[in-house]
Amino acid sequence: MATKVKESAAVATASSKNGGSLISDDKLKQLYATMLKCRLLEEKALGLKKMARFKGNYYAAVGQEAAVVGAAIDLRPEDAVAPSHRDFITNFIKGVPLDAMFSQLYGRVTSPDKGRCAPAHCGYAPLNIITPSSTIAAQLNIGTGIALANKMLKNDNIVVAFSGDGSTSLGFWHEALNFSGVHDLPIVFVCQNNLWAESVPLRLQTKVEDISLKAQAYGFPGITVDGNDVVAMYRVAHEAIQRARNGGGPTLIEAKTYRWYGHSSIDPAKYRAPEEVEEWKAKDPIAAMERYLTQRNLFTPAWKQQMNESFGKELDEAVDFAEKSPQVEPIECLDHVYSFDIRGRELDRKTRTPKYQK
Amino acid sequence: MPVSYIEAIRTGLAEEMRRDERVYLIGEDIGVDGGAFKATQGLIEEFGPQRVIDSPLAEGVIVSSSIGAAMMGMRPVAEIQFVDFITPAMDAITQQAAKLRYRSAGTQTCPLTVRVCYGGGTGGGLYHSQTNTTWFAHEPGLIVVAPATVADAKGMLKASIRQDDPVLYFEHKRLYRTIKEDLPEGNDFIADLFHAAVRREGKDATLVTYGYMLQVALQAAEKVGQETGATIEVIDLRVLNPLDRDTILNSVAKTNRLCILQEDHRTLGIGSEISAIVAEDAFDCLDAPILRVAAPDVPAIPAAEPMEQFYMPNVEKTCAALHKLLQY
Repeated sequence: MATKVKESAAVATASSKNGGSLISDDKLKQLYATMLKCRLLEEKALGLKKMARFKGNYYAAVGQEAAVVGAAIDLRPEDAVAPSHRDFITNFIKGVPLDAMFSQLYGRVTSPDKGRCAPAHCGYAPLNIITPSSTIAAQLNIGTGIALANKMLKNDNIVVAFSGDGSTSLGFWHEALNFSGVHDLPIVFVCQNNLWAESVPLRLQTKVEDISLKAQAYGFPGITVDGNDVVAMYRVAHEAIQRARNGGGPTLIEAKTYRWYGHSSIDPAKYRAPEEVEEWKAKDPIAAMERYLTQRNLFTPAWKQQMNESFGKELDEAVDFAEKSPQVEPIECLDHVYSFDIRGRELDRKTRTPKYQK
Repeated sequence: MPVSYIEAIRTGLAEEMRRDERVYLIGEDIGVDGGAFKATQGLIEEFGPQRVIDSPLAEGVIVSSSIGAAMMGMRPVAEIQFVDFITPAMDAITQQAAKLRYRSAGTQTCPLTVRVCYGGGTGGGLYHSQTNTTWFAHEPGLIVVAPATVADAKGMLKASIRQDDPVLYFEHKRLYRTIKEDLPEGNDFIADLFHAAVRREGKDATLVTYGYMLQVALQAAEKVGQETGATIEVIDLRVLNPLDRDTILNSVAKTNRLCILQEDHRTLGIGSEISAIVAEDAFDCLDAPILRVAAPDVPAIPAAEPMEQFYMPNVEKTCAALHKLLQY
C-alpha cells in the first residue's frame, strides 16, 4: 500500500488536460505566503531567544514549513491538530492570534496556557489544537481519541496528528496507528521525517528507508512525499483529509524533510555534517515554491517584499504585546489542577476538603 | 434484595449509559466476554459494540484515546483489567490525563473514569495481585477513589463518571462477590467523591484504611474491643487523592491514637502521608507513636500461599498493632 510521490511540484500540478493546475492560483499563492510567514515567525522567535528576551527553549521547524503548511492549511476550526513540540507554527496556520502565540513564548498571562508550558508547546482550545506535552508521541493517541469521538458523534471533523521520525520508535506511535486502523478513524498522521531525532540519525531509529511503509502493518495507506514540496504535500494531504472526512479511515503521510537548525535553540547540532545541512538548505521549500510561482507568473519580488514588511510589522506588534503583557500572579500556580479550587486547601490547612460538584 | 459489589458496578455503568449517551466503555475483553470478572456482562447486548468497545490489547491507547474523546465531550469509562498491567498507560495517566487541565490553564479537560481492578489474596501471584494505588495518589490532577462498600461501588462510580476530572476508580477483586448490601432507596443515587467515612465509631484509637482492608479493619476492631473493652474508630478513606485530612484529624483529636492499615507495601504509601499529616497538624493530640500495618517492601505478592499470607496484612497483624497502640 505504501506508495511514493517523487514527482516535483511542477509535474505534480501540471497533470490536467490543459496543462494547468488542479489547485487554484490563489491557493498556490496562499501556500507560499503561509510558508513565508511561518519562516518569518520562527526566525523572529529564534532571534528573541538568542537575545534572551524569553526564557526556556525554542524548537524551530525552519526548513520543514512545506510539510506543515501543506497538511494544515485547509483545516476547519472544528478539525483538531495534535502537535508535537516542533509544531508551533500549526497554531499560526490554523488561525491562532499572534498575540497569543508570542505571549505563550513569554509565558505571560495573555498566553493560552497562562504561562504553564515551555515555549513552543502551544495549544489553543477554541481551534481544537491540543496543548502538547513533551513526552514524545503522546499527542497521537490523544488525537486518536478525538477522532474516535468525532466518529461516535457522527460529524465530519478530522484530526491531523503530527510526529517526527524519532517518535516512530515508541510503542505509543504504533498503538495510535493500530487503533486508528482497527476503527477506521478520521485521522491523518503526518510524520515529518527530518532524518534526525535530536542527535540520533534515522538509521539508528528504524531499519526501513521509508516510514510510510509502516502503515502497511495497520491496514491503511502510507505515502512518502517530498516534504519540501508544498504543492505535493498539499495534494496528498488534501486527498487524505477528504478520505478521512468521508469515512475512509486514516492515512500515514511521511514528509521527507530537514530541520535547518538544532533540535532546540541550545543545540548547535554538531552531530550533522555541514555538507548535509547545506545540501538541504539548497532544497529550501520556500525558495522552491518561489521559483515555481515565478514560472507561473504568480510571483513578484514586490509582493514578497510587501509581505516581509507587513508581516514583520505584525510580528513586532505581537512581540510588543507579549512583552507588555503582565506576568502571571505567583498564586496562579495553584489553579487549574482540578475542576474545583485547591487554593484554600493548599494555603489554609484548616480548610481541607473541596466541596462536591455535580 | 442485597446486591454484590460487582453487580453494583455493572448496574452503575448501565444506569449512567442509559442516562447519558456520551458515556461509553473501552477495555480488554469487556464486550462479548463481559470482562475478566464479568463486570460488564450483558452491556454489549444492551448498548452495542460502539459503546462497549473491545479494545486492542494495549493499555496505553485504552487510556489515551479516552483522554482525547473526553476532551471532545464524551464520558469514557476505561477498564484496566489488572492494575499490574497499568504501566503501559502510565504516560497517558500521569503525564496526559493528570496534567491536561493544568497545562492548558483549564481550557482543555478530560473527564474520564478509569476502572482499575486491584488487590491480592486470591493466589494471583506477582502480576495479578498488585495494589499500586500510591503511584496515582501521588499525582495532583487525578482523583483516586477506592470504594470499600457496595453502596460506594455504585454511587462513587456514578459520581466519577459525572465528575469533570480524570478519576481512577480502584475496585478490589476480592470484594466483587464477597460482600452484598441492600442499596439505598432509588436507583439514581450518587456518592460523595471527596470525604472519608467513619465506618465504626470509637474513642480509644483510630484505624484508617481503604478498599478491601476495611473488612479486615472492622473485624480487628471488633476483636480488640472484645479482648480489651477499648472502642476502635474505623475510618474508610474512600478517596486517596485528594485526601480528606479533616476526618482523620478530627478522629485523632478524639482518640489520640492512630494506626493505618494498607494493602500496599509500606514505604511512601498512603500510610506515610497520613502519618505526616497527623504529625504536622495533630502532634499535640497524640498519646502514642503512629503505627502502620502494611505489606512488606518486596517487589510484588508471591503466588505460593505461605508467602502470600506472610505478605498480606490481615486481622491478626492488625490486632497486634492495635494492642501495641493501646498499651503504649
